[in-house]
This record gives sequence, C-alpha cells and structure tokens, in this order.
Amino acid sequence: MRKITIYLSLLLSLALIATACVSDAEEETTTTTTTTTAAPTDTTAPAATDTTEGTTEPAGPVLIGSIHPLTGGLAGAGSRMDNGAKMAVEEINAAGGIASLGGAPLELLSADSTGAAEVGQSEAERLIGEGVSAIIGTYQSAVTSNVAAIAERDGVPLVIDVAVDDSILDQGYTNVFRIQPNATSMGAGGAQFLSELAGDEIQTVAYLHDDTGFGVSVADAFEAAAAEYGIEVTTRIPYPPFEVTDLTTEMSQAAAASPDVIVVTGYYNDGLLAARAAADLEVDVKAVIGIAQGAYHTPQFVADFGADAELFFNSNYHFNSSDPKVQDVLESFEAAYGEPMDTEAMLSYQAIYVIADALERAGSADPADVRAALAETNLSDHFMAYPGPITFDETGENVNAQPVLMQVIDGAVVQVLPLDLREAEPVFPGTSWSSN
Amino acid sequence: MSKIRKLAQASSRDLMVLAIVVTILALVPFGVSRFTLSVAIAALIFALAGIGWNVLSGFAGQFSFGHAAYFGLGAYTVAVTLTKYSISPWLGLILGGLVAAVFGLLTGWISFRFGLKGAYFALATFALAEMLRLTFNTVDFVGAGIGITIPLAGGDDWARIQFEDTPSLQYWVILGLVALSTLAVIGVMKSRIGSMMLAVREDEDAASALGINPLRAKLIAIAISGFITALAGGFYTQSLLFINSDLAFGPLVSVLILLRPIIGGVGTIWGPVLGAGILSVLGEATRSLVRQPPSFLQIIEGVNGLDQVLFGLILVVVIIRAPDGVLGWFRRRRQSRPA
Amino acid sequence: MRGRLRKAAWAALAIVVAVLLTQSTWWETNQTVFAQAVVSGLLIGGVYSLVAMGLSLVFGVLDIINFAHGALMTIGIYASYLLFDNYGIDPYVSLLITIPLLFVVGVGIQRFAINAVMDAPVHNQLLLTLGIAIVIENLALVLFTGTPRSIELSYARNEFDLGLFSLDFPIRLFGAVITLPKLIAFAVAVLLAAVLYVLIHRTQLGTAIRAAAQEPEGAEMVGIDVRRIYMITFGIGAACVGAAGALVMPFLFVSPTAGATFNIIAFIVVVLGGMGSIPGALVGGLVIGLTQEMTQLFVSGSSKLMGVFVVFLAVLLVRPQGLFGKVQR
Repeated sequence: MRKITIYLSLLLSLALIATACVSDAEEETTTTTTTTTAAPTDTTAPAATDTTEGTTEPAGPVLIGSIHPLTGGLAGAGSRMDNGAKMAVEEINAAGGIASLGGAPLELLSADSTGAAEVGQSEAERLIGEGVSAIIGTYQSAVTSNVAAIAERDGVPLVIDVAVDDSILDQGYTNVFRIQPNATSMGAGGAQFLSELAGDEIQTVAYLHDDTGFGVSVADAFEAAAAEYGIEVTTRIPYPPFEVTDLTTEMSQAAAASPDVIVVTGYYNDGLLAARAAADLEVDVKAVIGIAQGAYHTPQFVADFGADAELFFNSNYHFNSSDPKVQDVLESFEAAYGEPMDTEAMLSYQAIYVIADALERAGSADPADVRAALAETNLSDHFMAYPGPITFDETGENVNAQPVLMQVIDGAVVQVLPLDLREAEPVFPGTSWSSN
Repeated sequence: MSKIRKLAQASSRDLMVLAIVVTILALVPFGVSRFTLSVAIAALIFALAGIGWNVLSGFAGQFSFGHAAYFGLGAYTVAVTLTKYSISPWLGLILGGLVAAVFGLLTGWISFRFGLKGAYFALATFALAEMLRLTFNTVDFVGAGIGITIPLAGGDDWARIQFEDTPSLQYWVILGLVALSTLAVIGVMKSRIGSMMLAVREDEDAASALGINPLRAKLIAIAISGFITALAGGFYTQSLLFINSDLAFGPLVSVLILLRPIIGGVGTIWGPVLGAGILSVLGEATRSLVRQPPSFLQIIEGVNGLDQVLFGLILVVVIIRAPDGVLGWFRRRRQSRPA
Repeated sequence: MRGRLRKAAWAALAIVVAVLLTQSTWWETNQTVFAQAVVSGLLIGGVYSLVAMGLSLVFGVLDIINFAHGALMTIGIYASYLLFDNYGIDPYVSLLITIPLLFVVGVGIQRFAINAVMDAPVHNQLLLTLGIAIVIENLALVLFTGTPRSIELSYARNEFDLGLFSLDFPIRLFGAVITLPKLIAFAVAVLLAAVLYVLIHRTQLGTAIRAAAQEPEGAEMVGIDVRRIYMITFGIGAACVGAAGALVMPFLFVSPTAGATFNIIAFIVVVLGGMGSIPGALVGGLVIGLTQEMTQLFVSGSSKLMGVFVVFLAVLLVRPQGLFGKVQR
C-alpha cells in the first residue's frame, strides 16, 4: 500500500507538471508562429508572467484575447461574437495592421468560457500569460464580473463587448471599459422611448423579465426611470430563462392586469417563448416591447417566427443599419460565416476596432499603455447606432452608448427612434394579431 | 489527549503519505505560469469539496447528489459576512462550515428519519440544493439574481485571503486546507466514528444489530462532510471574487464535486485529490488539443464543442474500464498479481 | 383501512379548497389566468409524462439511473427538425422515422456502454450516462452550432372541420388558450402511454420485460434472453423520449441543450409516479405540470420550479415509492 500511494502521489504531481508543460508549450508556439516585422520600439511586453519568450525579436503581432461562451447553452451567440472579432482582425491586418507599430498585425486568441465563471477566469489568466495586450468579452454578466476582476488585478485592459450589469463597473476598476449601454442606460433609455413613442397612451406596463442579474437590473432601472415619465409598472413577472419551456401562464398573468403595453426583457430562447405566448393568447395590448431583449431585433427572430413577428418593438443596442459602411460589414460577415450578423457580433467587431484605435494612439502593445490610450478614446467612426463618438467616463462606461428603438415592419427590423436614426415610421398601437 | 494518541498509533503510514504528497504539491508553484497556477488552484478547490463529499458518500455510503448545497452555503457565508459585516474570510470560512454542518444535520435528520436511502436520498439532496439555489436567487439580502462581488483588496492581503502580487500564497492556502481536511479525515476514519460509518455503509441493519446507531453515524458524517465542502465553497468565493446562486448551488457544481472522488476512487483517502488532478489535466489537455492540434489533426482546430466530446468519451471509457476509480484500478491490479 | 381513510381525507380537503376557491372574488378576477395555468400545466404535463415514461421503464427494468435521457430527447428534437428543414417532412409524420431511429440509438447505447455498468454502483452509472450526455450534446454543437432554431407550423392557426364540430386553433376554453402543437403533443403522449402500457402488460414481449425486471435470474432460467431484453427496453425508453422531442419541437426551440431542461423534471416525475410505473409516469407528469404552473400563479417572484421541488421532497419523505409504486424493501 505504501509503495502504491507513493507512486500515485508522484503521478499526481507529474500530472500537474504535465499541465504546466502543456500550457507553457502553447505559449512557445504562439509566439513563434508569428510573422515578425521590423519595429522601431520593443512592443511585446506582456503582463507579469514567468514563462513568456524573450522579447529580443522585433515586434511580432499584437495579441488580443477573446473570451466568449463557445460551448454550452449560449454557444450560438458566443461563436458569432468570436467570429465578429475574427473578421475585424482580418480586415485590420489586410489594411496594413497597426501603422504606429510598424504595421504589426493583430492576432486573435479565442477562448471558450463555456458559460462558466471559473473557466472564464482561468482562460483569462491563460491569455494574460500568453501576452495579450487586451481582452474582449464575455457576453454573460457573471463571467464578465470575474474576468473584469482578473483584468484589473493583472493590469490588462478588458473591453466589454456585451455584458449589461451595472455592478461590473461599480467596483472602481480602471482597466475595464464597456462599449454597450449598461443596465441603467437600457432601462432608462427604454422608458424614454416609450414616452417619446406614445406620450400619454402608455401609462401602465406589465413587465416580464428573466430572473437573472440581467433581467432584474434592467427591469429595476426601467421601473425607476419610467416613474419620471408617468409610466407605472403594475405587474412584474420574473421567470427562470433557462428552465422554462412555456410562458403562456406568465403572459396570461401579464395581460390580466390590462396594461397598455407588455414589456419583455430576457434572452433569445425565452423571448421566443414569450412572443409565442403573446401571439397565441392574442393579448389585448397596444404593443409588445422588448427592452434589452435578445430576440426581437434579430433577423433570425423574423425569419423563424414569420408573420407573427410583425410589429414587435425592441429597445436594444443596435448597429447603425442606416449607415452603408455597416451594411458592407453585415454582408461580409454573412458571406464569410453563413449566418446573418447580429448586434452582439457587431459589438465584438467594434471592440476590436476600439482596441486597434487605442493601439494606434499608444504606439505600444504594452497593456498599461493600451489601457491609458483606451481611457482617451474618442472614436466617431464607429458602427453602432449611438448619437456620438465612443468615449469612456472614469468608470469605463461608454458615455454615448444608448439603445435604439426598433420595430419589425414588413418583415424587416428598422430603427424608429431616436429621430435622427429613424428608418421608418413606427406603427403604434399595433400587434401582429390585432390586425387579424 | 486520547484522540491524538489514536492518531499517532493508527496511521503513521497515512501521515507519511500525507507529508510526501503535500510536500510535492507545495512545490508546484515554482516555475509555472500564472495560468497553470489558477488551474491548479481550481483543481484543489474542487478536490477539497470532493474530500468533503467523500466522507458522506464514500465512507458512510450515503450518495449525495446535491453537495452544492454545502458548497454554496460556505460560498455565500463568506461573501455576505465580508461584504456586509466586514468579517475576515478566515472567520467566514469557519462560519460557513458551521452553517453547512447545521444545514446538513437538520436536513439529514429529516431525511434519515424518514428512511431515505440510496437513490432516493440522492435525489432528495439534489432537490435541497436546487431549492437553495432558487431561494438565494430571489432573496435580496444575498444579492438575488445579481450576486455578490468581492471588492479587490489590492496587493497581498492575508486578512482578506487575496494575493494579487504572490498568487503562490493563494495556492498554498488552499493546499493547506486540503492537507488539514485530509488529516481530519484520516483521523476520523481511524477512530471509532470512522468504523461506525464504514459499518453503516456495508450493512445498516447488521450495524445496528451490533449496537451502532446508524442515524448518529450518518449525522456525524453529514456534518463533517458539509463542513469541509463549505470550506471549499468559501475559498471559491475568494478566488473568483464573485458569487451568484447558480455558481454556488447549481447542479453542475454538484456534478463537478462528485466527479473527482469517483474518478479517483470513492471511499479512499486520496481519491478526491487524485481525481482532481486527473480531471484537470484531462480538461486542459482536451481543450488545448482542439485549440492547437498537431498538424495531422489540423481539421479539428477551433471546432467548438469537440473538446467536450473528447472529454465525455474519455469519461465513458474510464468509468467502464476502471469502475472503482483509478485507485481502485491500481488496487485490483495489485491483488491480481500472483502472491 | 388507514390508507383509504387518508386518501379520503385528502380528497375531501381538495374538494373543500376547490369550492372555496371558486366562490372567492379572487376567482372572478383571475379566472382566465387560472384556467390558463391549468391548461398550460396539463398540456406540458402530458409531455413530461412521455419523457418520464421512458425513464421509468428503464429504471424499473434495468435499475439504472439514466442521465443521458435529456440528451436522447435532444436527438429526437434535432432529427425531427432536420427532416422538416431539409425535406419538408411534417414533424408528426416524421415520428414514423424518429421513433425507430431513437430505438436503434438506445439499443446501441445500452449494448456498448450501459451494459458495462449494469451491476456497478449508482455513482458509476450516473457518471457514465453523464459522459454520454456530454458527448451527445456537444456533438450536436459541433455539427449544428449552438444557434437556436425554431419552426412555425403552417397549419397551426387553421380551422379543422371534423364533421360534428370544427376546431379553430388556437382553441379558447374559459379564457385559456390551447394551441395545436401543444394539443397534439398532449394527445400523442397520452396515446403513446396507452400503447406502452398495452405493450408491457398485454404482450409476450412485455411479459418477458416484466419478468426480467422482477427476477432476472429466474427469467434466464426460463429461457428469456435477459441481455436482449435490457437492450430492447432501453431502446423503448429512448424511443419514448425521442418521440417526446419530436412532439415538442414545433413549440419549443432546437438547440443542443434543448432536452436538458426536461432531464430533471423527468426524474421528479418518475419518483412522484413510482419507478417503473407507466400510469404513475402519466399521472405524475400531469401533476408536476400543474404544480409548476400553479406555483407561477400563486407564488410569484420566485421560480416556478420551487413548487415542483417542494412537492418532490414531500413525496420523497412521505411516500417515496411514489403514487403508484410498490413499497420498496
């Protein structure tokens, strides 16, 4: 017994050391399979690690980490976001890379958070160990909270493409930036749109939302802001988004309060169930409005839900579909990856461009320099439907990030508010079943 | 004093193994990257949780499918006491352990008194974990759906168990917890309580015929088990710096906890730690294989989900080929060798 | 006598509650929602019954805990979707393909994997089936990506003239809505339950299965190939849950984790109904479906699964053999 256990303990330690070799070997291959270009300054200076290769060679590619759920229940959105980032990297490299770094190309290191926070954490550690200058991600607020803490601790900037919780940037972090509107912005923006859209015609709202941090924070923000416009949330119905197979009872409860409109916040799948329930019940409301809803602004929803998708509203982040440059991006994505590009993927695409812009200004791939440059970002040449340039306040929030109110009209998702981004006149009141 | 004497006389061999293993494991932080260290820390956290699980389900034979309940209680106790009452996580860990032990005693008492055994007991533990998850997801005091974020301490902070500058310290702390727990388990299993648990596991009726109170044995097992697993949960909060009800009480957590000891060998002292090591290596190996495959397998590069498929297949094969876990496999090999 | 008395007391209590309920003002204002909760609960309960039936059979005969049950359902969902999307085959018609397909898959899994852990401790069975579930789910991810898809049946809103009366979908009953796909799922589930019951209790194969379940050694001695019976039974279980997958596909969505949500519910229903009991699975499924929706109605603010778990625990403590099960050793 004694010998066996000694052998086994050796085996265990060997196993752990083997892991070390596996991951360290990776770091070696990543830094050597790169094209090296001459650069005036030494730019590859990764954050604190013990095992990076020597930086005696001329500037190699700038490494950017991308952490998204590539497997698990959210794999669809996650892989699209990763692809969006990939596409941006390819375009930037094709256009000559980062000029101020001597044309250094970008290299995207994709990582799978699997939807789990501790995996996100170790993947972030791994990427930082491999010398990334910045990280983008991660789609889920819980995972992002954790990656943000790591990024802050290790001094590598994180540009959040999608994650809505206010609390992520309430911690006083200086290394974390978010380009999408946060929960308060979503909620308040949504309330404002409702008021602009219909004035006094909307006074009562029944709110259906997922019971995760996402749904709760947006609903709270909406309820608070709506009060200032004279809109009252008469019923709030939370539901577990990943466990429900039917939302008819919930929708019936919402309708029973006879509200003016029903508001929905949640992810794609449960949004679909809610939409089905509303259509089946033919709820007698003036409109169904999504706020930060994952489905009602996507081409896929329109394609899969058919004629019933008509007239659904969604107040959500959106790429600026009225911009021809954006249309080009959408087409390239669909051509390259075989599915339509959603706003989440566009945000990842945008995040890469934000980092590239920072790299240009920093003239350095050192994470600390990139962070400083990011803090100074003032990017007007962006792809999002925001009223102003991307620029961050001292907590890292994008000052000009705001949602856009969209509606499905004649089978297409069009922007209806704010006025300067309007593509079509909104149809209100109206639902796809009331016109039957 | 008698307990220490018992420890000394009974298990000098086990203690020597413990010393060797801990020494070897303590050397790990030297010369590895931060990433590897974080993988090792995660492995040890779940190894610790598995050590706790093993006491109830391995030694006492009451299979638990809801150990996330204790894990989560430990996790949340640390999170709440730190953020709301500024209590050091060291104390929070102990408190969490006590909370979990009390929870285990209460629910265990009800379950065992109603005669729940085997699969039924397992399902009951699962239901309890799920109920805790749903409850914590709704109660505002513990952050409801939003969860609790642990503020960064900055630098090396012993009081708050955060080691920004020297991550090795964090590794050694969890290693210390693993060592202490293993020591405790060794002590318990060598004592009368331990034999009682084993007797109950083998045959509960025979045990009671021998004058052993099965209920008492099971309750002691559940209390110890819950305490140790809660320590792991509390430490988890400190290393993740964030907790919500899904991370704390989710069914995935329960599965992750029991996976380690089963792979390593249920009802053995070293099963959980060995299983944790193996699974960590396996997980990382499959992930990196798909990330950067050798040239003849280029086609699998970056295919999402393939690493999990491989992991699942290997799991299936291991279970079929080594039904008693890795330690059990070794043991059987030894026994089948001619004397 | 004590058992009958207790049952009578419960029934009386239920009637009193129901009467009080209908007389209250709450009922007046909330009749529609209540009706909807009952309708939704029963409809989805039928699907739960079908999913659980397969699991109950497998547990009753093979005595193993199958954690790959939800993954098998996912296969059924994908098979049905692919046939619809690529060949335009109606999901209900494609049952003729999905049921045999899942049967074969089930037999295969039993033969090549489950067989090895038939006598192993429960945790090994659990891990093995868990590993199988991981493989299936992630294979689906690899092959079809994680993007959820959904379909709409073109005739879901049609009117069907059935001679004596016509059905205009969605049907409205006391203010509740019954949609075509859900009604069909419910009806087919009940039908398949009946078929399964007849199979188990009125056919030679069924007798062999029951014999193998109760006394495997005795059955072998009488000449029944117990190993073959195990394979067939697992195959039947898989076919049931695969059919359930095809039935839910039109009103749910298609993604690698789509079947996983039903996994836990299936176990709860099996325990509630009694392991190995087909009528138990049917009744249990309906009860769980109703409980779920009623919780949503009366205990808002928390997950509707909470009520389900409370019921589950109560059953485990008070009557662990389930409603229809026999008392265990």
